[in-house]
Amino acid sequence: MTAAGFFTLPAVSIAMTVATYALGLRLHLRWRWIPPILVAAAPIICLLVVLHEPFSAYNRGGAWITWLLGPGTVALAVPMFRNGIALRPSLPRLGIVVSLGSTVGMVSAGLTAWALGAPRAVVLSTLPKSVTTPIAIEISKELGGIPAITIAMVVITGVLGASFGVTILQLLHIRGARATGAAIGTASHGVGTASLVRRSEREAAVSSWAMAAAGIFISIVATILKFFLK
Amino acid sequence: MLHKRRMEEMWDYLRGTLLLVSFLFVGQGAHWLGCPLPGSVTGLLLLLLAMIFRLVRLQWVEKAAGLFLRHMVLLFVPVTVGLLEVGPLLKQSGLAILASLVVSLLATLIATGLLSRWLLPYDENSTVNAGPEMLRQMEDR
Repeated sequence: MTAAGFFTLPAVSIAMTVATYALGLRLHLRWRWIPPILVAAAPIICLLVVLHEPFSAYNRGGAWITWLLGPGTVALAVPMFRNGIALRPSLPRLGIVVSLGSTVGMVSAGLTAWALGAPRAVVLSTLPKSVTTPIAIEISKELGGIPAITIAMVVITGVLGASFGVTILQLLHIRGARATGAAIGTASHGVGTASLVRRSEREAAVSSWAMAAAGIFISIVATILKFFLK
Repeated sequence: MLHKRRMEEMWDYLRGTLLLVSFLFVGQGAHWLGCPLPGSVTGLLLLLLAMIFRLVRLQWVEKAAGLFLRHMVLLFVPVTVGLLEVGPLLKQSGLAILASLVVSLLATLIATGLLSRWLLPYDENSTVNAGPEMLRQMEDR
């Protein structure tokens, strides 16, 4: 089979993704500091570059895996429910923390891009970068940003937050399931939350609550902001 | 009998997955009708409400949801591979984009973390209790 024909079967990229993920997971369980998402994605990116294959060829199979993010996001309701009773007293305060944190995120992202001379469309694309991909794409479109830039920022933010977020928090002596979960869920949405699932269910639950709250809060802010931008 | 237990377990996963997908579809339908939240988030909130009001029992979805969540990182891999495509986009204002990303990520983490340290103080037993439970769930795969 030629190199170009290699990816025409969706099953090939699916099998490859599962295999590199399994490797990443194994390394992560052995050495906790290794981020599984980087181990899983890097060999595939290298292979595509070496074979001069476009992402779209890989994504014929990859899209099937991405689709599962839908039911995967819905599944976050389970840890939210299981920990809901224990967390109920702190939920209003969590809402405040997440709203303020999301505001800091939006303002700092927009201001930095603006100060470095990015054009208006790019500045607007940076605003929704802390929320989960589907919400971010919608907001970016509505505000007049460039969705592709937003997607890239969302993914990089998620991967960085998932890989180094907990370490950064620990350096600042921020510990405890509620503080860790709130910060990771607000700053790096689903990818960050996914990385917490294996650390502690409670952290993942708080992170899911934070992620959902951040998504709702930023959607509302964007709806209001839209009127001022016109 | 082992065989029968196997079948029951498969049914458990199947039922849970079907429920998760159904809630996703309801959420996507709501989005199509004009709900500003994306389908998956609406689906999440609806499933949460359904469980709170006992329309859906936790054990109907628990197994399947656990499977999805344990391997959620896998589901983000193709999107991460897609970063390959954004190279040309980053050429124009790449520095501004990267700087904005890093500054905002740090600012959000630190602001949220410090605010939570103040408003949601350390809850000692939570992390300690949750760990072994998750490990057990991971091992009974």
